[in-house]
Amino acid sequence: MAKVRILPDRVANQIAAGEVIERPAAVVKELVENAVDAGATRIEVEFRHGGRSLIRVEDNGGGMSRDDAMLALERHATSKIIEADDLNRLTSFGFRGEALPSIASISRFTLQTRETGAEAGTEIVVNGGRLVHVHECGRPVGTRIEVAQLFNSVPARRKFLKTDPTEAAHIVSGVRLYALAFPRVAFTLIEDGRIIFRSPECPGLVDRVGEIFGRQLAEGLVSLEAEEPGLRLRGFIGRPGAGRATRHEMITFVNQRPVDSRTLNYALIESYHESLPKGRYPAAFVFLDLDPAAVDVNVHPAKREVRFRSEPAVRSFVIRAVLQRLRELAPAAGPATAAPVAPLPAEPVLSVPWASAPALSQGGAIVRPVFLPPPPAPRPAVVASSAPSPAVARASVPTETGRDSIAAWRYVGRVHGVYVLFETPAGLVVIDRRAAHERVWFERLQAEFAAGSVASQRLLLPVPVELDPVATALLLDRLEFLNAHGFEISEFGRNFFRIEAVPAWMEPAGAEPFLRDLLGAVREGRFPDGAIGLAREELARLAVAKAIRLPEAAGEAELRALLSQLFACRSPLSSPSGRPTQIELSVGELARRFQK
Amino acid sequence: MKFKINRDHFTNGLAQVLNVVGSKATMPILSNVLIEAEKDHITLTTTNLDLGIRCKIKAEVKEGGAVTLPVKRLATIVRELPNVDVTFDASPNHQVKLASGGSNFRIMGIGKEEFPPLPEFGDEKSFTLEQAELTAMLKSVAYAQSTDETRYILNGVYFNFRDGKLSLVATDGRRLALVSKELEVPATSAGAIILPAKTVNELARMLDKGEKLKISFNDRRAAFQINTDKDASGLTDSIYLYSKVVEGNYPNYQQVIPKETHQRIKLERELFLQCIHRAALVCSEKSNSVKLKLTSNLLEITAQSPDFGEAHESMAIGYSGPDLQVAFNPSFMMDPLKALNKDEVFFELKDEVSPGVFKTLDSFICVIMPVRLS
Ligand SMILES: Nc1ncnc2c1ncn2[C@@H]1O[C@H](COP(=O)(O)OP(=O)(O)OP(=O)(O)O)[C@@H](O)[C@H]1O
Ligand SMILES: [Mg+2]
Repeated sequence: MAKVRILPDRVANQIAAGEVIERPAAVVKELVENAVDAGATRIEVEFRHGGRSLIRVEDNGGGMSRDDAMLALERHATSKIIEADDLNRLTSFGFRGEALPSIASISRFTLQTRETGAEAGTEIVVNGGRLVHVHECGRPVGTRIEVAQLFNSVPARRKFLKTDPTEAAHIVSGVRLYALAFPRVAFTLIEDGRIIFRSPECPGLVDRVGEIFGRQLAEGLVSLEAEEPGLRLRGFIGRPGAGRATRHEMITFVNQRPVDSRTLNYALIESYHESLPKGRYPAAFVFLDLDPAAVDVNVHPAKREVRFRSEPAVRSFVIRAVLQRLRELAPAAGPATAAPVAPLPAEPVLSVPWASAPALSQGGAIVRPVFLPPPPAPRPAVVASSAPSPAVARASVPTETGRDSIAAWRYVGRVHGVYVLFETPAGLVVIDRRAAHERVWFERLQAEFAAGSVASQRLLLPVPVELDPVATALLLDRLEFLNAHGFEISEFGRNFFRIEAVPAWMEPAGAEPFLRDLLGAVREGRFPDGAIGLAREELARLAVAKAIRLPEAAGEAELRALLSQLFACRSPLSSPSGRPTQIELSVGELARRFQK
Repeated sequence: MKFKINRDHFTNGLAQVLNVVGSKATMPILSNVLIEAEKDHITLTTTNLDLGIRCKIKAEVKEGGAVTLPVKRLATIVRELPNVDVTFDASPNHQVKLASGGSNFRIMGIGKEEFPPLPEFGDEKSFTLEQAELTAMLKSVAYAQSTDETRYILNGVYFNFRDGKLSLVATDGRRLALVSKELEVPATSAGAIILPAKTVNELARMLDKGEKLKISFNDRRAAFQINTDKDASGLTDSIYLYSKVVEGNYPNYQQVIPKETHQRIKLERELFLQCIHRAALVCSEKSNSVKLKLTSNLLEITAQSPDFGEAHESMAIGYSGPDLQVAFNPSFMMDPLKALNKDEVFFELKDEVSPGVFKTLDSFICVIMPVRLS
C-alpha cells in the first residue's frame, strides 16, 4: 500500500487552481477583486485570445512590499482575515489567500508592485508554480499582474476551454459586473489590442450602466431604494412593460459582490409577474446590502453563489421593495394590480407544462390531448417525420378530426377569451387561439422566407438603436441576413444603428425590442452561422412568439377562418414551440365521465 | 335630493357621459355617474381619472343634493322607462327611487364623497374654435394615430398652436397626417399638447352640439368647453371635457414631410378610392400591398396574393413624367381618401423607396411610406 504523503505545495496549488480557476474569466475576476480590495480607483484589464495567451490587470491601489508580495504567493496567505470568525465580518472580496498561488501555479505569472511610500517596486516571475526570479523594478504605486500561457501546464483543463470568442464573452461580462459595482473606479477593458469599453470614474450607477449597456437601456430605468432593519436594497430597475428577452441585464450584487443568486433572481422575476409578459425578464441592477454575518459567500470555490441565512426574509423584502416601486410607477387608472400581499416565503410554484403528461386530471375530468406533444420521456412510436418543428405524434389523433371534416364543426363560442370551443361529430374540440395563431403565422412566414418575397414596410421615423459592443459585433454579422428578411438596418456610428424598414407584419415600435430579443437568441447560439434554413426557422419562431400579436376582438367569422387556416398548415396540431394547438374530448369520454 | 326630469333628456345626458368609466376592480366608484341637482338642472359627471366629462340637463329640482349610481345600468333603465315623466328621489342613505308611469325602481348608490373631483383648472392658454371645423380637422388626421400602446407618445393627436395657425398631427410611424388652419396665436399662448386617443374619440363625438368650443390647456391637462346651443334635447350650458394629455415630446413631424415635389398627379378621390378598394380585395394578410404604376397618362393599380390571385385596375390620368412604380399598404391610401371630402386630391410620388404624399388645396398633407419586397 502506498504511503500517505503531504502534497508538495506546487501540486496542492494546482489542485486548488482546478477549483478556483476554471477558465480565463476566473483569473480576471480574482485579479480585479484583488485590485478593488487594494483600494484602486483605476483598473485596466487587457487580454488576448480569450485570455489564453495573455491576461493583464493593472491597478493604482496600495501595492505590496517585497516581503508581502512574496508571501502573497504562498497558499493561504492573506492580509484580509486573521481568524475564522472574520469570515462573518467580511467586507473584502478576498479571504482565502488562494487566488494568487493558484494562478501562478498554472501559468507564467509576472507580478510587479510598488507599495505607497516605497522607493522602488518589486518584480516577481513564477512559471508553473516555480519561482523564476525576484527583482527590484521601477513602476508607479500599484500593482500589475500579467498571466501568460494559462493552463499550458494543465493540458486537461486547456482542452475544456471553449472557443476564444466564448471565453472572451465571459471575461467581458465579468469585468462589466465589477465596473457596475464600482462606478467610482475607472475601468478599461482591452481585447486583442481593441478597447471594448473605457469608462471613466462615473458619478453614479446609472451613468455607469449607460456607459456599458448604452444610454437607451439606462434611460429606461428607474431608481429603487428600500430599507428595512438589517436590509437595504438600492439600484435601478426597468419600467413595467419593458422586458428583456434574456437575463443578461438582470444583475444582482450582495454587499457589492456580483452574485448569481437564485433567491434574488426569482424574487425579481416574481415582482414583475404582473408588469411583464410571460417569458420576459426585467432589466435590473440592484445591490442588496446586509450584515455580512447574514450571508454565506463561502459556498462555491469561485464565490459566485451566495446563501442567505434567512432566504425567506430576503426574498420577501426584495419582492416588497420592487412591487412597491412598480406600483408607484403604474398609471393611476392603469390595470388593476393585485392587492399588496406579502409574498409567501415559499419557492415560486413553477407550472408544470401539462404536455409532459399524456392525460391530465382537471377537476376530476380527464382530458385527452388530441396529440402527444414531444415528451420528455421516450417518444411515442409513431412520429410524423414531415414536420420540421417538434415532432408530433399522430397516433392519437382521432380520424374524425381530419382536416376535411372541419366544415362540419359547430362553433360553440370563445372561452375566457383565449380558447375557442367547437362541437365536432366525435365530441368537443378546444383550440388555443395563441398556439393556433402562432402555427399559422409560423408557416406563413416560412413560406414567405422561402419564396424570397418578404414585404418590408419603410418607416417614417427610423428607429435608433444603441447596442453594447458584443451585440454590435453579433448584429454586424447578421445584418445581411436581416436585411434580406424584411428589415433595413444600417450602421451609423460606433455601436449605433438605425432601423429604417421593418417586415410588414411588425409594428414599428416592436422593431427595437425584437432586434434585442433576436440578438439575445444569437448570443445563446440559436442562429448558427451559415445555416440559413435554421436561421429562418428561428427568425419565424421568434417572430410568432414575440412580434405577431393576437387580434384582440374576434368573432365567429375570424375564429372559423383561424380554424381553417390552422388545418391548412403542415403541422396543425402543435405550435412552433411544441405546445398543442387543441385538445379533444370525445363523446365516449364524456359519457364515461358522466357514468352513462 | 329630489327632481323630476324628462326621460329623453335624461337619456341624452347619460349618453354624453356614458363612455367614460374606470376599471371596476381598482375603484368601483369610477363606474358610477355623479348626479347633482340644483336650481333648474342636474349635473352629470363621469371620470376614469384620465378623462372626465360633465354636462347639465334641465330638470325640475324639488330638493338639491347629490348621489352616484352605476352609469351603464342606469342609462339602460332610464332609456326603457315607460313614461316620459321620470321622478328621481334619493334618500340620505344613497338609495334612489326612480319612478315613471307604473315602473318603480330602487337602486343602491354610493355617496358623492368618494367620487374623485375633476381637476381644478386655472387660467391656462386658451383658444376658441368652431365645432364643425374642428370635427373635420380631427377626422382628417385621427386615423393615423398609432394604436400600438407601447408607443404611447403616438397614441393621440398632436395639437400645435404656433406661428399663426393650429396644426393637428397624427402618425403611427409609417404614415403621418397633418392638417392646419389659420388662427391668431398670441406669442404668450403658443404651445402644444398631445391629446390621448380616447379623448379624441369622445371629443369628436360631442362636436355637433353647437357653434363654438373653447380649448384650454397647460402641460399636463386640457379642457374643452363645448357649447350646446344647437342641441334641443335637454342639454343646457356647456359640456365640459377634462383630460390628461400625453406627456412627452412629439416627434419632429416637419422633418418627415418631403420638401420637394417630384411627380404630382391629380386624382378623382372617389374613383381612386374605389380602385384601390377593389384591388385590395385580393390581398391577404401575408401580402398586404398594392402596387401603383405610372406611365404616360395612365395609372395602373395591381395587387396579388400567391394563394388567391391578382387584380388589375387602370385609371386615365394626366401624367407626362417618367415611368415609375411604388407599392403601399392599401389601408394607408384608403384612410385619408375616406376621411377627406374634397372631390379632388393630389398624390405626389418619386420612386419605390420614397414616401407618397397626399395633398388637398386646404392645408392637408398625408405622408405614407412604401412597402418593398426584399
Ligand atoms: N492588486 C493587489 N494590490 C495589493 N495587494 C494585493 C493585490 N493582489 C493581491 N494582494 C495581496 O495579496 C494577498 C493574496 O491575494 P490572493 O488573491 O491570493 O488572496 P486573497 O485576496 O486574500 O483571498 P482570495 O483567495 O479569496 O482571493 C492579498 O491578501 C493581498 O494582501
Ligand atoms: Mg484575492
